[in-house]
Amino acid sequence: MPINKSAFRRYKVIDMLLQNKMKRYPTMQEIIEACFEKLGVDTSAETIQKDIAQMRMLPPDGFDAPILYNRSKGGYEYTNPDFSLLGVQLSDLDIETIKESAELLQLVGGSRVSEKFNNAIEKIFTTVLEEFPNHKHREKHVQTMVPPTSRGFEHFDLFYSACIQKYPVSFIHYSYNKRVFSPILLHPFLIKEFENKWYVIGFSEKHNKVRTFGLDRVFSPFLLNLNFKTVDRFITETTFDNLYGVFPIPFQPKQKIILQATALATNYFLAYPIHSSQNVHKLSSGVANIVFELIPTIELIRLILSQGNQLKIISPDWLVTYTKNMCE
Amino acid sequence: MKLPVLFHIQKKDIANPVLLRVIISEQSTRIDFGYTTPWYYSKGGWIKISPATYLTVQGSDKKYTLIDVEGIAIAPKRLNFQSTEDWKFFSLFFETLPTHDCVFNMIESENPTEDDFNFYNIPLSFTDAIAFRIE
Repeated sequence: MPINKSAFRRYKVIDMLLQNKMKRYPTMQEIIEACFEKLGVDTSAETIQKDIAQMRMLPPDGFDAPILYNRSKGGYEYTNPDFSLLGVQLSDLDIETIKESAELLQLVGGSRVSEKFNNAIEKIFTTVLEEFPNHKHREKHVQTMVPPTSRGFEHFDLFYSACIQKYPVSFIHYSYNKRVFSPILLHPFLIKEFENKWYVIGFSEKHNKVRTFGLDRVFSPFLLNLNFKTVDRFITETTFDNLYGVFPIPFQPKQKIILQATALATNYFLAYPIHSSQNVHKLSSGVANIVFELIPTIELIRLILSQGNQLKIISPDWLVTYTKNMCE
Repeated sequence: MKLPVLFHIQKKDIANPVLLRVIISEQSTRIDFGYTTPWYYSKGGWIKISPATYLTVQGSDKKYTLIDVEGIAIAPKRLNFQSTEDWKFFSLFFETLPTHDCVFNMIESENPTEDDFNFYNIPLSFTDAIAFRIE
């Protein structure tokens, strides 16, 4: 027999009273009063007795709740003090934290990750609103940027599943730069987000090495029933830790890069470091040399160019020339 | 081999559109193409595919007819581009090809001009076929 929603809400009130270590052995009258207080409806003793009987039943009809009427104490108790209707005992602080987390998840999680995750988060948030009706009256104190959905983002779930379950993927890739389409057989191991753009990284059979592909340039991916080629995750993860962005400049190792920033730009680098290797050496004028140990990337050059005359490359010399050539 | 299977086509010659991938299932043969607009058409021109387009397997007279498209217009409709830097990924679906090694042709016009999408001598070797992962 399915449990209706109002009955389940009474079960939770009964469960809460039976778990209360500070006030043990609740009486029938106390349960009726608690139901009125928590749920705002009058509940008869007969209904509560039926609820307790139902809670005692084995799943799926009930919860196998070890409820006993203790004659000497004049009230009800769980004979197993560790029993909880929902399996997990939550304090008021836990519940408040869950409510806040659900709110935060809804703000930052959902649409930025995938439709599947978004649906899961929506379910959690809807449940929170159902369980805690007053929650929806809370004012919003956090606002995040939610960019419009980008092309290729719909493939997130497929690539995520491929990474976890180790399935190669066939897809068609279009290179914006070369204006060329290619069929790619990829053994993906990492999905990376950088500045709201999504990338999949894996071993490409066509290139015979680890490559990065923007999801916006990926078409019609399919999971394949092929042996998965694994790569040395330590090497690849170390490499990606040494990047600002995702596309390294070919054949360039990790190296010292020195930029000179105006006083204005220095404030932003101090407030928002772009990489863990960043060191700011400030001069008395406020101008600073900003030093990185990085594998140079296209994204680093774009960042430098985007700052105009606020930022210039001091070294290495080849990067000065490379950046200049990119502008021509 | 259990269907569906796919073949990556690595052609050396420069064609436009370029034939990229063939997927054979029990329902259809899907062929994936990529098209980049050329410099010599104003605003990149347009593309379309004749509804009479078909596949043939060399050594047989049987025609495998076009049954569906994705990402391209069926003539007389046209898919118009906006610039000479545009591009389009599209797929054509035909009746299922035989599931053994073969060489096939795709014929849009039997008297083709350079604007028709005719492709010849596409080899399919089932030893190169890749099986799908069916969830």
